[in-house]
Amino acid sequence: MANAVMERSAQTMDVESKEVEIRVDHLGVTFQDNEGNDVQALTNVNLTVHKGEFVSLLGPSGCGKTTLLRCVADLQEPTEGEIKVGGKTPREIRMAQKFGFVFQQPVLFDWRTVKKNVELPLEMMYQTKERRSKRADEMLEMVGLTNFANHYPGQLSGGMQQRVNIARALGIRPDILLMDEPFSALDEFTKEKLHEDLLRIWSKTNKTILFVTHNIQEAVFLSDRVCVLSPHPGRLSAIVDITLPRPRTLDMRETPEFNELVRQVRDSFEGGSL
Amino acid sequence: MEMKKVPLTKQKWFQVLFWILFIIVAWEVGASVVAVTKRTPENVMPHLYQILAAAFSTKPVSSGMSATMVVLTSARATLLRAFGGFLLGAALGFVFALLMQMSKAVEKMIFPYLMLIQLIPVLGLAPIVLAITGDINKSRIIIAAILSFYPVANNTLAGFKSVSKERYELMATYAAKKYQIYGKVLIPAASPYFFTGLKIAAPLAVTASILVDTLQGDGGLGCMLSQSLKHAMSIYVFWLIVFFSAFVGIFSTYLISFIEFITSPAKRAAWNGRSLEKKHRRAAMKAARKEYRKEKEDGRDLISQTCSENKA
Ligand SMILES: Nc1ncnc2c1ncn2[C@@H]1O[C@H](COP(=O)(O)OP(=O)(O)OP(=O)(O)O)[C@@H](O)[C@H]1O
Ligand SMILES: [Mg+2]
Repeated sequence: MANAVMERSAQTMDVESKEVEIRVDHLGVTFQDNEGNDVQALTNVNLTVHKGEFVSLLGPSGCGKTTLLRCVADLQEPTEGEIKVGGKTPREIRMAQKFGFVFQQPVLFDWRTVKKNVELPLEMMYQTKERRSKRADEMLEMVGLTNFANHYPGQLSGGMQQRVNIARALGIRPDILLMDEPFSALDEFTKEKLHEDLLRIWSKTNKTILFVTHNIQEAVFLSDRVCVLSPHPGRLSAIVDITLPRPRTLDMRETPEFNELVRQVRDSFEGGSL
Repeated sequence: MEMKKVPLTKQKWFQVLFWILFIIVAWEVGASVVAVTKRTPENVMPHLYQILAAAFSTKPVSSGMSATMVVLTSARATLLRAFGGFLLGAALGFVFALLMQMSKAVEKMIFPYLMLIQLIPVLGLAPIVLAITGDINKSRIIIAAILSFYPVANNTLAGFKSVSKERYELMATYAAKKYQIYGKVLIPAASPYFFTGLKIAAPLAVTASILVDTLQGDGGLGCMLSQSLKHAMSIYVFWLIVFFSAFVGIFSTYLISFIEFITSPAKRAAWNGRSLEKKHRRAAMKAARKEYRKEKEDGRDLISQTCSENKA
């Protein structure tokens, strides 16, 4: 295990970019508004995400980040273009239960306890009761909710509900983790802890992560690459390689390199689109 | 420390007590008026103590049975039929709601006509149902079932429809099978709605049962009720039945709430939380009162001190 972490941190982007995990090809999504006019949520998006890569989708509200993520997860039918995940269609991957999706809003079931909520997807995978229970306990410990295992969602704060949401998605050990602004409802302290947890889990398990956020620092800190999206119509305006070494530590955020990357991302954003 | 005290008028027991007292007072005022203005006041509105006296009197009113015994024996037949009809109607209501949820075609075919059932007067239906079944007992069960059916079907379907798109999508990301979506999401989500349907249906079933009794005879509360009204037996049997059926109707709804409470752990947890909160609040209030008293005493000391200082 420790070995794997070491290896991982030594890896650079070039070594890694072998196997393509997600290929988004000329993707376009058009919605109809109430008057029947077309609203282009996304146009001509081309993106390749490699296996084990951590890619962020960054952009202002309404630029189509959620829509892109939903297309990858087969929750939204593209109007144009196509998406392949590991050479297969998103539907095949979804039916194989390989996706973990963290919704922007925590979608919890109010008649289930916190722990039972985390166990729900494991029930769908026909895991035994003992395994489910053990896994749920682990996940709740990770997000710091062990003492709330037997509470009901209605008894939790918004941030705590979001942590249950995250624990539930990670509990199924998905190959591909799609996260839609998972940390934006959390306080700084919890967020920092979960950043580290997420990176640790990712480095240990070789997951592919597609991470939506509107926070530049967060995107730079976590990712191998940051994809900058711009609105009206939603499109991919730049991709910035994050060359910071791994493992990332919180104090890296103070370094000039980090700030330089943040500036670069911000520039690509302003220059390209708004 | 400042503790907010729940005002008396907002406390549940006070509200209940208020309404009971209000009804008693209003009734007695009405009864007193009726007593001087009508020739046979006991037919219109007897005093409550007269009704109570009738309830506890052992004087036989019909075939050697006291008024209370008459009510209870006939209640058994009526309530059993109401209960049977209620169970049947509720079960069918749930199944139909499920079918309508499972198939759009079934929903389009059935749903618009569901309401018609509600529009047909039961009493008009009774002779037809009796003619079809040829059995008084069965016909009454069926009528109670018909009346229970609609609120349960309608509410349960509303419960299924209340499941948000996000919940379906979450289940889709897990590649959940249809039966899993029903078992783990739709049915639990519809459960409070189903219980609401039951709470509406239960008193309806009782009322329907009594009403049909009055038409068709063969024992039962409604039958005794009409005999009593025709003065075939003491009029107080009528009044006892009125109060008894009111009680059964209210009680049936509370009983269902209780069953819901027992079967829903989330509800229980919320309730436990509330009662714990109440306990804490009471303890805090007690402490605050103690402190206040102490402060007052200290204050008095302070005043007497300053007084003596001033004097000095
Ligand atoms: N179901 C829908 N019907 C119509 N329009 C939609 C629908 N979903 C999204 N849109 C439109 O598509 C655009 C992109 O929406 P999307 O939810 O992807 O934005 P986002 O980048 O995730 O924004 P945010 O940061 O606020 O979550 C918006 O203009 C939105 O109005
Ligand atoms: Mg979004």
